[in-house]
Order: sequence, then structure tokens, then C-alpha cells
Amino acid sequence: MNLRAIYSAIGIAALALLSALGGCKHSEGGSTTTRAVSFPSDDLIGTVPLGQVAGEPARAVTALSMDNPYHDNPQAIQQGKQLYIKMNCAGCHAYNGKGNMGPDLTDTEWRYGGLPIQIYETIRDGRPQGMPAWGAALPPDEIWKLVAYIQSLGGTVSVSDYEHSRQGDQPGEQVAPEAQADAQFAPTMPIFPIPIPAKTQTPSSSPTPAKAGEPKP
Amino acid sequence: MWDWVDGFLRAHGNARPLKFVPLALLIAASSSCSRPSTPVQDSHAYDAGSGSLTGATLNAAPNDPPGEWRSQARDYANTRYSTLDQINTSNVSRLRVAWTFSDGTLNGHEAAPLVVDNTMYVVTPFPDILYALDLTRAGEPIKWTFKPNPAPMAKGKACCDTVTRGVAYANGKLIYNLLDDHTVAVDAKTGKEVWRTKMGNVETGETMTMAPFVVGNKVLVGDSGGEMGVWGWIAALDVDSGKELWRAYSTGSDQQVRIGDDFKPFYERMKGKDLGTSTWPADMWKHGAGSVWGWISYDPQLKLIYYGTSNPSPRVPDQRPGDNLWTSTIFARDVDTGMARWAYQTTPHDRWDYDAVNEDILMDLPINGQVRKVLVHLDRNAYGYTIDRVTGEVLEAAPFAYQNWSTGFDMKTGTPVVDPDKEPHPNVKLVNVCPPDIGGKDWQPSAASPRTGLVYADIFNICMDVTDIEASYIPSSPFDGMDMNRYPAPGGNLGEFIAWNPATGKKVWSIKEIYMTMSGVLATAGDVVFYGTADGWFRAVDARSGKVLWSQKLGSGIIGQPITYLGLDHRQYIAISAGIGGAATVRADVIALRPFDFPAGGNTLYVFSIDGDSMSSGPGQMTSKDNVSKAQPETGNGTQH
Repeated sequence: MNLRAIYSAIGIAALALLSALGGCKHSEGGSTTTRAVSFPSDDLIGTVPLGQVAGEPARAVTALSMDNPYHDNPQAIQQGKQLYIKMNCAGCHAYNGKGNMGPDLTDTEWRYGGLPIQIYETIRDGRPQGMPAWGAALPPDEIWKLVAYIQSLGGTVSVSDYEHSRQGDQPGEQVAPEAQADAQFAPTMPIFPIPIPAKTQTPSSSPTPAKAGEPKP
Repeated sequence: MWDWVDGFLRAHGNARPLKFVPLALLIAASSSCSRPSTPVQDSHAYDAGSGSLTGATLNAAPNDPPGEWRSQARDYANTRYSTLDQINTSNVSRLRVAWTFSDGTLNGHEAAPLVVDNTMYVVTPFPDILYALDLTRAGEPIKWTFKPNPAPMAKGKACCDTVTRGVAYANGKLIYNLLDDHTVAVDAKTGKEVWRTKMGNVETGETMTMAPFVVGNKVLVGDSGGEMGVWGWIAALDVDSGKELWRAYSTGSDQQVRIGDDFKPFYERMKGKDLGTSTWPADMWKHGAGSVWGWISYDPQLKLIYYGTSNPSPRVPDQRPGDNLWTSTIFARDVDTGMARWAYQTTPHDRWDYDAVNEDILMDLPINGQVRKVLVHLDRNAYGYTIDRVTGEVLEAAPFAYQNWSTGFDMKTGTPVVDPDKEPHPNVKLVNVCPPDIGGKDWQPSAASPRTGLVYADIFNICMDVTDIEASYIPSSPFDGMDMNRYPAPGGNLGEFIAWNPATGKKVWSIKEIYMTMSGVLATAGDVVFYGTADGWFRAVDARSGKVLWSQKLGSGIIGQPITYLGLDHRQYIAISAGIGGAATVRADVIALRPFDFPAGGNTLYVFSIDGDSMSSGPGQMTSKDNVSKAQPETGNGTQH
């Protein structure tokens, strides 16, 4: 079985778990619509560990597989974007989410976990290196909208990717050529190649003849 | 083509000096025939060179030993000039690395190391660790390490990386500011904390990044947080006890700003009662910033300090109609009382984040037949000011960097004329505004040489597209509202190193750099000036011609400040930290400032000497506890024992 197959298997298992949970939620709420929104309870969120569970490496933490009920809801994502600006998230993480005083939110590198429920927890409770706790200022549905907006930026860790992102079973990225391609505003001043000298070069201490473009005292 | 490239490289590494030859000749010619009178010689003045282009005199007070470097700017006048001349234009091309020191942290390294009594003091970005290196022992080992343990929260409150701009030495103590708003004093001999004074509350978004400035028994400090809605201030503490002696806010009532009967601003616009509240919408001054995060200078005759305040908060001007005094303002204050003597606002109602915190270099400068006591200030707004430091009158104001926000300068009111097309308004994308938020030059301090009478500065050639977005004041979070993208101004280069004539307000020569130039500058009596680039080139330049005499690529980008000192071996050394960060990298999305070959972070202090010689380096050099250079052939491996 190759890695890709393993990923697929894990993904399918996670999806199955998710739909089971989702079904459970819907029946509890008595809702018949597929888009009904119900949030993970505080009790459930309270079971999310920040690190691995000591002594029980294989134990599945149910809450970690909870997706954001708004994750594919365009209206919620739009409202999350408005909140992101209104609550000054952009001041630290930049208007495009790529980081500034605070970390980049568009990548998969998350200090306190990049799963939806972990991001929810981070926003609600704050973090020690300057991230304020928004739980007193924002109700859960608004925090989930913020999480949805952040998920829409293309980074974070999806529930189905969790196992392998946690253990690093994922490909690396080559950033240089992409950055070059994105460099629409890159400096245009020419970068000169270093010519290979034919013979031993003139010692640098000896005077060089003045050429056009060189400074004259 | 190849011929040209070859000649260019032989002469300059990869720099491309551009020389305004006719201009330089003109200046040289005019200054020699129009120099009006011999400048008043001060007993503390540096020796001027016979080839000075301006006739400026610079005060050397407090006359620190020539071989040491005891404060960030080296002297009260903020010259960053050293009288050492062993390294000079004839031998600087032989500079090689003598030794290095790695401090283990990875954020922006903006501070200059200090050298006092054969000990080098190196401070790191957060967590603000202070190292003492023993320059009397081979390998310059660590003598002691001081860990101040600042609050981790501060890391998320600093706008522009978790930097510090350095340490000051006074009365056997090293004094510096921690990112979490404490000023600490450390015993220089033992590395033990002497006192710690809490200056602010980091939970409000206030941090401290500037280097303290010592005058006599007072140490002056200020806050950072122009993007966090802080209430900016400068304060004086007692050097020996850390007790606060006075504090002056940058906005608020005259009492809070320490404005009294002695306050005599030159321009009408800055005269009146409580302008620190009346030039703001109700109560907006309380979170209007004016933080004091740059440099302070001091005139020992006038007993006045000079410094600038930051941009107003939020960075959305339409939310704060009015001049927003005393933000983006240069203050002159009595050092003993903190009372303001004059003020001059460089950018009224600042719309672009043009702080006035850049260094003020004090010179006595012949202008129109009279020697004037001036301060030279290259502002973020791209104007180079020469200001009478007795009265606050602007004597010269001319752009030193590419700008288009202003169409000219009104000398009568002392105010740049704003181009209304370059005024941002909420939710409107404004393109091509120059300079950008970080200015035509940021905090990186320039240097001045009495031998040439010129000022040497790393400047920017950058523009921005900007969209203002209304900001709400939520304590703990930024109070900002500026969404912007930066890119190179015409010419395509991001950086430039210039020689500036403060008497005429003109560039004498300049060297264009592909990447940002955001390092401090060092000027020496060897007529060599030193600067670094964001992509890691450290260069030595002829102070007169602008010719690049030597370059070396270091391990990371350079935003530190070069210094020079004499070793125990009476040899002259040059030191610079390489560790990119700060505002040069704060916006990860701004690819223009971080192209694909931009260096990664670093933390290495490089120390150079002629041929790389030192007491403990070179062929066959070995060390012992007793004798730094005594050969120990029986050990054979050059290690200590």
C-alpha cells in the first residue's frame, strides 16, 4: 500500500466518522435540512488536547474530527471576512491573512493546531504570545464564521488531513520559483552575473581605469 | 557588454554607484568660495578635515575614549563618527573577518554592539538577552549572559518585529528597554540586574524597542506602538535608581505634553493652547500614538534634547480630522525638566505613516554667511531638513528620496504642500504613493563626518498602493486600518546609499542597491563610510568620492549598525550584526521586498580587521588561559585547556 492509498483510507475513515457525527447532530436537533448549523458544545471543545495524549498514542480524540459547520457556507465566510476586518484581526495577520505582527493564516504551519476546532479554540481563548482571547467579545457562531473565513484562505489543516499533517506525512514545498513567478512588483534593477575571469584578476588594490558610469572624485 | 560588466565588478562587487558629477563639482566649487566665516571652534569639536564640503563642525561630547563605543550613536550629536583611522581608503580593501559571534536568536538584529573597557556587549531581539564578550581573551568568549525574561505576550504586540535598537552604557551599568515595557539596568562587571522600572502595560499594545539615551545621570526612554493606539511618551529615569524623573506625552493637554511658558515654536500653526487635544476629534488623542521609538540627541550648551514622535493612530486620516499634534513632530526639550522649548511637526495630519522618529544629527553649519546651530533630519516623509535647533526654524527642506505625496515645500509655513490626489480615503485604492509607510528612510541612523561635512544615509526608493479601511479601537488589538503593498519606485532599485549636503539640501553622490538599504551607517576618520544591505552586502565606501572600496556578503541581511573600536592589541576593528528582520520583512505578502533570493534570518556578529588579523586568529594561532597568543605546540589542536 503506498502513501497515497493510506491517505485515502484515512480520509475515507475520517469522512465516515464525520458523517456519523453529523447525522447524530441533525437527529439531536430534530432538523431535517442538510444545512442546519449546530456547533460543537463547550464540553466537546474542552476535550481537545493541545498535545498528544500521553500513554495512548492511538487514541482518537473525537472532537478533533469535528469540522466547522460553516466551512462551505459562502455567506458565513463573507461575514467572517467582515469580522476579520472589524475586530482588527487584519491589523496583526494582514488584510490578506498572510501575516504581519501575527502569524500567516494561509499556510499549514499552525503553532496551536490548524484543525477547525483548534483554530476556534485559539480565537476563543487567545494564546500567550499576544493573541487576545475573543470568547468574551464574540459569540460562538461569529468565531466559527471567522474560522470559516480563515479556512477559505487556502491554508489550515483539514479534518481529513489531520493524521498525516500531525506526523509530517506530507510533501514539502519548493517556494523559490513560485515566489519568482509572483514577483509582479519585484525590483527591476538588473542583477549582473559574475563573469569568469580568463586569467588571474588584477589585485583589487590597484587602481582601475575609470569607465562611463563610475564615480569620479 | 562584458567589458563593462567586468570593469564594473572589478570596481564595485555588485553595487552600481551613480554619481552626480556635475552636482558634486558645483557643490565643491560653491562651498569653497562661499564659505563665509570660520566656524566657531568648540573645545569638544572633532577635527575637521581640510576638504570639508560644508564647513560643518561636530561636537564630540561626551568625549568617550576613541577606541570605545559606549552609546548607539557614539556621541550626543548622533554623528556615529569615529576618530580611528588605521582602517582607511588605502587599506580597507584588505578587510577580512577576524572573528564572529552567534547569539542564537532569529528576529531582526537592529542594535549596535557596545565596546567598553575591553568588553563587547551584544543584545539580541526578544527575549532581549544581553551578552558580555571578553575581548581580552582569545576567541572573545562569553564573560556573562543576562536573561531578562520579558513577557512572551510582547512578541505579538510589536508592529515591526521583536527588535531592540540597543543598549546604552552609563556609570558602570548597561541600560536597555525590554519589549514588554521595562527599562533595566545591568551591572557591566557582573551581569546582575541593578534595577528594573515598569514603564508601560504591554497588554495595551505598548512595547519598547528604542535604545535609551544617557545625559549625565538621566536616561531617556520612550515607547513604541504607533499601530496599536497607544498614548506616546518620552521619560527620564535616574541612571542609578531607575526612578522616573519626568514624563512628557506626545498628545493631550499642555500639562501632559509638558508645554509651558518657555515653549516657543517657530511657526504659527504650532502656537496655541492645548493643541495636543484641540487638533483632534474629541478624545481621539488618547489613542493617537506619537510614540517615541527612534533616536535622541543632545546639545550640551543649550541643554536641550531633540527627538521625534511617531505617526498618529489610527493610520486612517479621515477618522481623525485635524493636524493631530504632536504626532510626526520633532521636539526640543529641556533635559532637566522635560519642558518643551520648541516643536516642529514634519507631516501635519499624517496620512501615510510618516513618523518623525528618525535621528537628528547636530551640527554647527555655515549657511548664508552665518554659522547656525542646526539639526539635520532625514524624515520618513522623504524631506531632508536642516533646522535651526535653537529656534525650530526650517533652513533647508528638500527631498532626498523619491516622493510624490508633496508638490513642494512652503518655507513660510514650514509645511510640505500636499498633492490632494495622494490623500487616501477609506475603501478607495490609491495607487503609486511614494514613499510608502516605511518612508523615504526609516529609523536606520545615518552618520556624519566632520572631515567632509556630509551626512551619509541608507535610504529607500519605494512606493505603495494603499487602501484605508476604518479601524475600531479595541484594546489589545491594533488600531491601524492601512492595507498596502510596497514596490520599487522608478529606477527599479529598492535601496540607495547617499552622501547628503545639509547646507544645500542636495545629494552629493549615491550608490543604488537592488534590495533595501536599512542598516545604520558608520563614518570614520579614515574617510571610509560603512553600510549594509537587506540582502547581506556589507560595504566600505570612500567618503568623498562614493567609490565602493570593499564589499563582503554576510550570512544574513544587514539591518544592524556598524561600529568600530580598538582592541587590546591596539588594532582597529569594525563590527556589524547580520540578521534580517524588522520592517524589511514584516509583511510576508510583500514579495517585492522579499524576492526569491532574499536571505533567511540570522544572528551573527561579524568583526573585521585588516587581513583578518587579531590576537587569536591566523595561521598557527593557539590559545591558552594565561596568554592569548602563546603557542601550545604540545596540544596541537588550538583549543583551550
